[in-house]
Amino acid sequence: MTTPSPHQENADLDSGQTLRVIGRALRFIEPFRGQFMVKVGLLLLSLLPMLMLPWPVKIIIDNVIEGHPIDEPIRPYPELVAPLLNALAAYSPSELLFVVIAFQTTLFILIGAFGTSGSEGETAESYLASGYDTASRTENEANAGFSLTGGLLGLFDFRWTMRLTQALNHHYRTRLFDRIQTLPMTAFDDERIGDAVYRVMYDTPSITDACYRMLLTPIAAPIHILLTVTILGALYGDHPSLVYSALAFLPIALLSSLPLAGAARRMSGRSRQAGATATATAEEGMSNILAVQSLGGEERQRDRYERDSWQSFSRYRDVFRIGIYTVLIAGLPSLAVGGYAYFVAIDGVIAGELSRGDFGLLITYFFQIMASSQMLGALWYRVQASAAGLNRVFFLMDLPGETDGPGGVELPILQQGVEVQNVEFRYPDGTPVLRDLSLKAHIGQMIALVGPAGAGKTTLAYLLPRFVSPQRGRVRIDGQDIASVRLGSLRDQIAFVFQETVLFDATIEENIRLGKSDASDAAVREAARRAGAAEFIEKLPQGYATPLGRAGGKLSVGQRQRLSLARALVRDARILILDEPTSALDPETEARFVATLRDLSQDRIVIIIAHRLSTVRTADEILFIEDGEIREQGSHEALLALPQGAYRNFVELQGGA
Amino acid sequence: MTSTSQDKDLQGLSRLGDGSRHDRLHLRLILQIGLRCLHLLRPVRRHVLLLFAGFSGLSLLLLPIGLLFVDTLWTRVLQGNPMLEIEAWFFRVPIEAATSSAGFDAELRREVAEKLILWSVLLSALLAPPFIGLYYYQIWILQRVNQKLRVDLLSHFQSLSLRFHAEVAVGDAVYRLTQDSAMVTQLVQVLILTPFTAIPQFLYSVVIIGLFAPMLGLVLLGVLVPSLALGWWFSQRMRTRFRSARETNAALTGRIQETLAGIKVIKAYGAEPIEQAAFEGASHRAFATAFQARNLYAVFGMTMFWTFGSFALFITALGTIEVMKKTELAATALGFTLWNLGLYNYFKARLGGSVESLKDLFRTWGRAQDIAIGLDRVFEVMDHEPEILDDPDAIALSGVQREISFQNVSFRYRTDRPVFEGVNLSAQIGTITAIVGPTGSGKSTLMALLLRLFDPSSGRVEIDGIDLKTIQTASLREHVSIALQENILFGNTIRENIRFAEPDASDSAIQEAARIAAADGFIEDLPGGYDTLLGERGSKLSTGQRQRLSIARAIIKDTPILILDEPTAALDAVTEQRVLQNLAEWGRNRAIFIITHRLSTVRRADQVAFLGGGTLAEIGSHEELMARSDGAYRALVEAEGGAAP
Repeated sequence: MTTPSPHQENADLDSGQTLRVIGRALRFIEPFRGQFMVKVGLLLLSLLPMLMLPWPVKIIIDNVIEGHPIDEPIRPYPELVAPLLNALAAYSPSELLFVVIAFQTTLFILIGAFGTSGSEGETAESYLASGYDTASRTENEANAGFSLTGGLLGLFDFRWTMRLTQALNHHYRTRLFDRIQTLPMTAFDDERIGDAVYRVMYDTPSITDACYRMLLTPIAAPIHILLTVTILGALYGDHPSLVYSALAFLPIALLSSLPLAGAARRMSGRSRQAGATATATAEEGMSNILAVQSLGGEERQRDRYERDSWQSFSRYRDVFRIGIYTVLIAGLPSLAVGGYAYFVAIDGVIAGELSRGDFGLLITYFFQIMASSQMLGALWYRVQASAAGLNRVFFLMDLPGETDGPGGVELPILQQGVEVQNVEFRYPDGTPVLRDLSLKAHIGQMIALVGPAGAGKTTLAYLLPRFVSPQRGRVRIDGQDIASVRLGSLRDQIAFVFQETVLFDATIEENIRLGKSDASDAAVREAARRAGAAEFIEKLPQGYATPLGRAGGKLSVGQRQRLSLARALVRDARILILDEPTSALDPETEARFVATLRDLSQDRIVIIIAHRLSTVRTADEILFIEDGEIREQGSHEALLALPQGAYRNFVELQGGA
Repeated sequence: MTSTSQDKDLQGLSRLGDGSRHDRLHLRLILQIGLRCLHLLRPVRRHVLLLFAGFSGLSLLLLPIGLLFVDTLWTRVLQGNPMLEIEAWFFRVPIEAATSSAGFDAELRREVAEKLILWSVLLSALLAPPFIGLYYYQIWILQRVNQKLRVDLLSHFQSLSLRFHAEVAVGDAVYRLTQDSAMVTQLVQVLILTPFTAIPQFLYSVVIIGLFAPMLGLVLLGVLVPSLALGWWFSQRMRTRFRSARETNAALTGRIQETLAGIKVIKAYGAEPIEQAAFEGASHRAFATAFQARNLYAVFGMTMFWTFGSFALFITALGTIEVMKKTELAATALGFTLWNLGLYNYFKARLGGSVESLKDLFRTWGRAQDIAIGLDRVFEVMDHEPEILDDPDAIALSGVQREISFQNVSFRYRTDRPVFEGVNLSAQIGTITAIVGPTGSGKSTLMALLLRLFDPSSGRVEIDGIDLKTIQTASLREHVSIALQENILFGNTIRENIRFAEPDASDSAIQEAARIAAADGFIEDLPGGYDTLLGERGSKLSTGQRQRLSIARAIIKDTPILILDEPTAALDAVTEQRVLQNLAEWGRNRAIFIITHRLSTVRRADQVAFLGGGTLAEIGSHEELMARSDGAYRALVEAEGGAAP
């Protein structure tokens, strides 16, 4: 049994671990390989317009405004475009203007961009407003859709990407949720629910960023840089310094962001941790509103939430600050390089080697290479925040879950009985709970577990459905060790009623039917009747179809207890385990229910943990448990006959000698 | 409480989260929501003003410099036209030479270019930190606004009745607190920053272009007509979709929370596949609605851009013709008289700027729909009036001297379902009252009235003759403490759990309370003692142990009225007797109410009140009630199996 605790969690990763975490995340895109390849194709396709965009600007400046004939450029064009130049040469400047405008109009319908000054364009995306903490920013990540272009192509690309993102996120969070459900139930204290909600809702979207960044950038950025460099080389081979200076952004981005990568990851991790704490505080307060209100804890809860929420905000500012530092560190060298490039280009124009149009073209391409180089250079840095989120998800996924026994043997329907042999159970911190305890029960028996609080009664009961596994000893059903059977086949045979009633926000009928999803209406009603619940259910205006609301908040504790009894009865299982099932029942209801249990135990094993004498004394065998051991064992009468007996003492104190 | 206000309340409940408010969410309501948030800005208004002054100062500085730089670069340095006097003056080059065609040679052009680049780099290096600093400042301010809204919302949630909470999923509340409230940070952006920067920028472009050529300025202004019409058409549709996106995401949060809260039962009954399917369904719905909403938003952006783009292309074409013809400018200033390449580039930059600012404005408008929906979901809760409201002239309770009395009290959760009627009960200080009766007879509810978690439907509850409704609720609850039937503990240390309601309690008070609740023994046996964190080990405590902590928590409040709801149900007989013995001593000058089924507990009471059949059926001492041959209480005792002692 492992209890997840924020303290055990590895809050930070080293670079190797980060790489492994990311590598593992990338495998989640496997089922969507086809869709992903299409996205890569769309991405490459949208690079083309980016390369074409600066050209109309050059033509307008050189050939329309300045009126140079297009087929007599200052610098020769490659042979490749000669036919195009010849075709355009026939036009006068003003006709040329309309050709260009027509070209631009087509472009901006198709790809949402036109080059009036080279760069304005629309890129299709749908980022919505988000707040200033990590959680409220994740919704955009989980639904990320984007394209390098706009227009019809961009819209298609955007929709495709959003579908892919959502499919990926859905797959990832569904897997996490599935995994959470297989964790031992002892893994989830009430206090950890908010944290788990945070991980499923707000940490899982990290996968989007990790996958796209790690898989798309290394493909798109080098190809884009390569294509641009080729064009520049073909046209302006005599000004290579421009290309070199654009490429200089790659090392600048790398050098300026690398030292802070670790800090970025840690800050993101802390921001998530703080957000999860705030979520947990809110969740806890809302879940336990009855306690908060009746104990006058409103102010205290508010203060606690105020503190946790502000902590989450300040942690987010830490994340943001790291980003500022990298921008500032990279800033000056980048400016120097940019200034130098401008000067080289201007110098070329002054020297008459370049036209004004060339200048516009060069600068546009320069900025494009710069952006791609930066993207590539800061890749490792930018993926850190996602690594922190992914780490939190994988932490939950990696907790040892419940597993079927080796071979996963189906447990046959119980024929004879159960046997607990010399079991020993300790909490993770070593505190012993059960010490070398053995017991036997066979069909037809009703067994009561009695003893002081904390004696280990509930833990003993948890052994049978394998909610916990003993460190030593065995539990056998009809001689078969339950450690080696398929978990589902074991639990199918057991109906367990917990001390604290748990109801779901569904109708009464659905809550009862949770015990057996294919139970007939008649079976549901019969179970309700035997649990003493039918009476109050039928008085409700909507009867069995009454929605319970949150956690059955509209019912009294006793009514809820009866519903959870009905849920167990409808299961019609061979082993019925009840942990203090009648504590909130009035004596009359209890008496009727105990009679029902007696009746049921004829062809079943009934194990009941109780303090109420009226319940206990009807059992065939009573086990008095103290300090994890069975002190006394026998029928009510036999145990009462023991002078100075612990059970006898227990009975006397209840006032029923 | 009258039944009309109850009906109103229930109508309010059904309104929550079913989207019925979206019909009303039009432009005026969006503005109203904005105005409502303005008060949240009040505590930070100086900061907002400072921020705004900072941003506009920097921007205003950059606008004219921008014109100067672009013209110098294109017309002068690149094309080689002589500089204007102001440019020559600014770049500190010999004015005579720079302003004549002969003097402005290649060398001087290079010199100007160097200075131009140096200035640009210098300005960027100098201005980037203040810009980034302002942005960081903005985040801090808006986080404070968000923080206030969150805390206000949480406080309000806490002030709403249990009846409200029974209807609202925890996950939904968490979503409203975390995601919906975060939208307030964008409000400053939407209401102030974007309009106040984008609109002037657009108008500035219109004016500048209008000064070059009035016709072009007018055409640019004309773009507003189709834009506004399209904006109107889209925004209603977007709002509907944004709302369902938020609702389905809130439902998903609720689904996760509920599953985890009920994981025990899910496991025990093998319901994992059902829950998994339900989760997948909820997750799928959340994504599907988000897709609908975001797709429409993207299409909206695209359509708007096409609109701006057509206008911009048209205007560019006209402007290009002007510059080809070297037309005279409509207004001449600063020495500019004719269209030239520099002006053309500036004109294009302004045109581009106006497209950018319009894009910004309408994108913000689209986002504003979502923001408004988010905030509307926050205000939905804020507008929900607490059922229990203090009278304006409510008094503070100063001690309980004599008695607590219920006078002809009736209560119904629903208008059609009375829990009990006509209950008359009084309890003196110094006595123990046991409340017994069948499940569902309203025992816990009766006690909830004493805490004013609910108000009675009719009748009065009084303390020393003062109607509870005339007492400040906070002051009332300071005089009443309760140990709840469900032993709710918080993820904190044992110490903090015991002093939950009394944060200033001393260590000795904590230990004394633990002793009375018979919890001291097991607490001291824990390795961490009172500092044991229940978050880690909560599941390790048995129910009986949790129950005793919850009793200690009630005792430490040291109030004249103590309510114990099934305090001993999970206690073994020995512990029960110890707790009861301690309580009897401790409670000598207090009024204690114990709801219980256990005979051994009931017998210690001074009076027994039997609730059943929708009213207070019997009242008296154990002996008196046992003496009634056909008494309901007697039947109950006999069923429990304990004959008279």
